Amino acid sequence: MTSTRRAFVAALVLLAAPPAFAHGPTRQKLELSVDVNAPPEKVWAVIGNFHDLSWVPEVAKVEGAGGNDPDTAKRSVTLKSGGVWKDEELSDYDAAKFTYGTFLPHVDVKVLPVADFSSHILVTAEPGGKSKVEWRTAFYRGYPNNNPPPDLDEAAAKKAVTDLVQPALDGLKARFGSGS
Amino acid sequence: MLLGLAVTGVAAGAALRCAAAEAFVTDQDGDSVTVIDLGSRKTVATIHVDGKPAGIAMTRDGSRAYVTSPSAQMISVIDTAARRVIGHFAAPGGPLGIAVHPSGNPLYVADWYTDQVMVIDTGSGRMIGHIKVGQSPSGLAVTPDGKLLVVADRLSNAVSLVDAATLKEVARVPVGAHPFGLAVDPAGARAYTADVESNSVSVVDLAARKPAGTVKVGKRPYVVALDGGRGFVTNELASTVTVFDLKTLQKVATVPVGDYPEGMEASPDGRFVYVANWDSNTLSIIDAGTLKVVGSLDAGSSPRAFGTFLR
Repeated sequence: MTSTRRAFVAALVLLAAPPAFAHGPTRQKLELSVDVNAPPEKVWAVIGNFHDLSWVPEVAKVEGAGGNDPDTAKRSVTLKSGGVWKDEELSDYDAAKFTYGTFLPHVDVKVLPVADFSSHILVTAEPGGKSKVEWRTAFYRGYPNNNPPPDLDEAAAKKAVTDLVQPALDGLKARFGSGS
Repeated sequence: MLLGLAVTGVAAGAALRCAAAEAFVTDQDGDSVTVIDLGSRKTVATIHVDGKPAGIAMTRDGSRAYVTSPSAQMISVIDTAARRVIGHFAAPGGPLGIAVHPSGNPLYVADWYTDQVMVIDTGSGRMIGHIKVGQSPSGLAVTPDGKLLVVADRLSNAVSLVDAATLKEVARVPVGAHPFGLAVDPAGARAYTADVESNSVSVVDLAARKPAGTVKVGKRPYVVALDGGRGFVTNELASTVTVFDLKTLQKVATVPVGDYPEGMEASPDGRFVYVANWDSNTLSIIDAGTLKVVGSLDAGSSPRAFGTFLR
């Protein structure tokens, strides 16, 4: 076997092995919310499209396909920092209940120091034509094994997700006015 | 005399098929185990357990619960009647999945970070062996006759069958992608895995050591429980439980529960199935007859209850 052919066979073997993404044993939970001075329909019109994250200040661009159908929808997200994550899935979508869920099977920890990132966005009606917007997230720390370095531990993961979510909720408050 | 024996036999049989009295729910964020009285449906105790407790194994007689704490790399021993921790066993690595032999000894602890299952003597707390299996072992179960340990090898997409006497793997059976939770039927004939990444349940024939079928379920299935002729699967991202027929492997129902449902177990009498909802911080009660949720109880902070948690 020539060395070229050996390299080709080795490459085939690598291709055949499915990517195996490990994660730590303790899933983290971060749930942030904001009250805004607008009914759910109006808020949903701004945030209810899986392929539109113009309301999230950290995001520069969203590309994808499949509309808002959980069986087919996928999106790639480019952050203003330049980082990109791909193949984020729509796990569920219910416009009548003003909620959708996302799941990101893999992300480069340099972009977002987390693993198995999932989230739910939910708008619920509050008295007086107001609403509450919740962004509930679940994720593992970026380092899959024991003794994570400080930039890939639970605190780093929580900070990164907070830095993504909180400005978006603050933006909704600024847009619609405070609900409380 | 004969009549007396017959009556005793019936009484013993009835005693085995009782309602579950209590649930011991591991609360990973709360660093505790929440004890819920299933008759009154109230929390009756909160037991502090360090190190982000996740997995749990209840002894057959319900007297002891063993809890894995991956962050502290230890097992906590709970006296269930006294509702307190009476000891700790070292479990270096990433202890997560756990099972106890039907005789009460030993304890099997999956090391999430390696390809090994630790074997711990419950009397002395000493590590008495390591079993080599596939990568990232997760859910564990022992056949009721105590002869076979069944291991879900998450990153190897397989189930390892281990001879409990020799502590050697005797067969490896391919299943779906990333099997996590696992259940063995009361006859010890079949094992069922929840395949997280292929949204399926795989069926393994334990005698033939071969795959025996697949069920399509909801998104991110996590744990399987069995109840009579039916299988139940928690679907994490769908916030549902899929119910399927164990003979036909056809879907029977999809039951909405709380968010991020994880650990699940049926009561011994088969009347209810209890589901820990990680995100909602609740324990859902499914009526196994009507397949409706008939109760939702507070269950601490980030409940997982990964393993056997009813007594």
